[in-house]
Amino acid sequence: MNIIETKNLSKSYADFTAVSNLSLHVPKGTVYGFVGPNGAGKSTTMKMLLGLTRPSGGTFVIDRKSYPHNRVKILREIGSFIEAPAFYGNLTGEENLDIIRQILGLPKSSVNDALELVGLTQYRKRLTKKYSLGMKQRLGLAGALIGRPPILILDEPTNGLDPVGIHEIRTLIRSLPEQFDCTVFVSSHLLSEIELMADNIGILNHGKLLFEGTLEELKENAAMLGYPTDNLEDTFLALIEDDNLKRGEKR
Amino acid sequence: MSLTLELKKIKRTGFFPAFLAGGIIAGAFPVINTAARPEMFTSMSGSAAEILMSANYETIAMLNLLLLTAGACILYHIEYAGNGIQKMQTLPVSESGLFFGKAFLLVPSFFLMLCIEGTAMFFCGIHWFGESVRASAIAGSTAVGALAADFLRCFGFAFLLTLPAALLLLLFSSLCRNMWVMLGIGIMCIFLATMLPDDNFLISLFPFAMPFQTYAGADRDLVIRCIIAAVSETLVIGLIEIILIRIRRLFA
Repeated sequence: MNIIETKNLSKSYADFTAVSNLSLHVPKGTVYGFVGPNGAGKSTTMKMLLGLTRPSGGTFVIDRKSYPHNRVKILREIGSFIEAPAFYGNLTGEENLDIIRQILGLPKSSVNDALELVGLTQYRKRLTKKYSLGMKQRLGLAGALIGRPPILILDEPTNGLDPVGIHEIRTLIRSLPEQFDCTVFVSSHLLSEIELMADNIGILNHGKLLFEGTLEELKENAAMLGYPTDNLEDTFLALIEDDNLKRGEKR
Repeated sequence: MSLTLELKKIKRTGFFPAFLAGGIIAGAFPVINTAARPEMFTSMSGSAAEILMSANYETIAMLNLLLLTAGACILYHIEYAGNGIQKMQTLPVSESGLFFGKAFLLVPSFFLMLCIEGTAMFFCGIHWFGESVRASAIAGSTAVGALAADFLRCFGFAFLLTLPAALLLLLFSSLCRNMWVMLGIGIMCIFLATMLPDDNFLISLFPFAMPFQTYAGADRDLVIRCIIAAVSETLVIGLIEIILIRIRRLFA
């Protein structure tokens, strides 16, 4: 069963199309990696799913709830982290999470639980404006994970983290569906990173979905089309380059 | 819930100390002004409340509006500075709830200021106008009670007439990501209000001009018209914010 499904989802700004007829299928209880180069439309898609951006066309359903009629119900089920961490600099990490906890009507223990999950417990009393970039990133993740929501939408969650942090967060994301019975929709511009945590992937370029399926299916497809398959990064680059060439020809 | 959330958000912003300090400064003004030249005021004809309000309230209203501008700035600056508002938009909370939560924080803070200012004026009335207050006390009420009632009416009127400006400042603040733009707009509006002629009823309905009107000395008909206008403007500004939120969502 797909917990997130989009049908011909599109977003245009004046003469620029950020997302074009996107039909995604995110199966329940999996990690879905959303890969694409910078400016491919990953963040725009995620923003549309969260109601931050209004789609120009198409529809989407999240946990059998349609947008925009069930916007608030949808948001109640989603933990999200979009682009950069969003927080109140005048509050401590703990106080920031407490605001989210209060809105979601969660028990007080959920704040400590979220801080523990991202390894921020010892910095919980520090003002967030004094946090390092990595700590802010972790706090953003804690804000998404608080209350262990059934759906997580994470936009490049490892940005700004050191190699140890990247490994920790990646391991955490990988373990989330099993640990908390949730679905993770995570984006990155690095296929090498996504392949370490995702069950399914979607490759986006210039707002168009080039591929959707499992990593094995990607390898099979790539072999059939004559792309390199030894290294997934090379497969990804070849796929993008080929699409860019085709787009250039069309122009 | 919105109010408790907003209360948590303004921690360490200096919001309440600013209003408290503003109230004390504004309250100190009539005390110092009257202490410096008591004979000038006590020799004037009219009730104590009328004399004190006409001598001091314009400056107090200006201070109140400047502080409301700063307060409205703080309330939305915390949302935009760390992009906290984006997090709020991804949570099951309405943006209009956010706005009215902030309004319910701004308005009582302003009320607190008015209480301090009213108490200071009342003190001036008792201290320097004791004799005349006793002389003009209405039948059946004590002199102190009559003076208190006078100031309650004056400051109640001032409170109602400042509501549109407070809400409009908050509306501007919700629209401006840059705090300095909002500060500039607020201050320009206040100074524009001081330049407007005060003998035209329609012009006096400009939300930033209304707080400069005083109850003392005004005829009953004008008072009622002003109150109706203030309440209507407050409701209209609240409605405009709700419409703006919908429009912003439509073009997001």
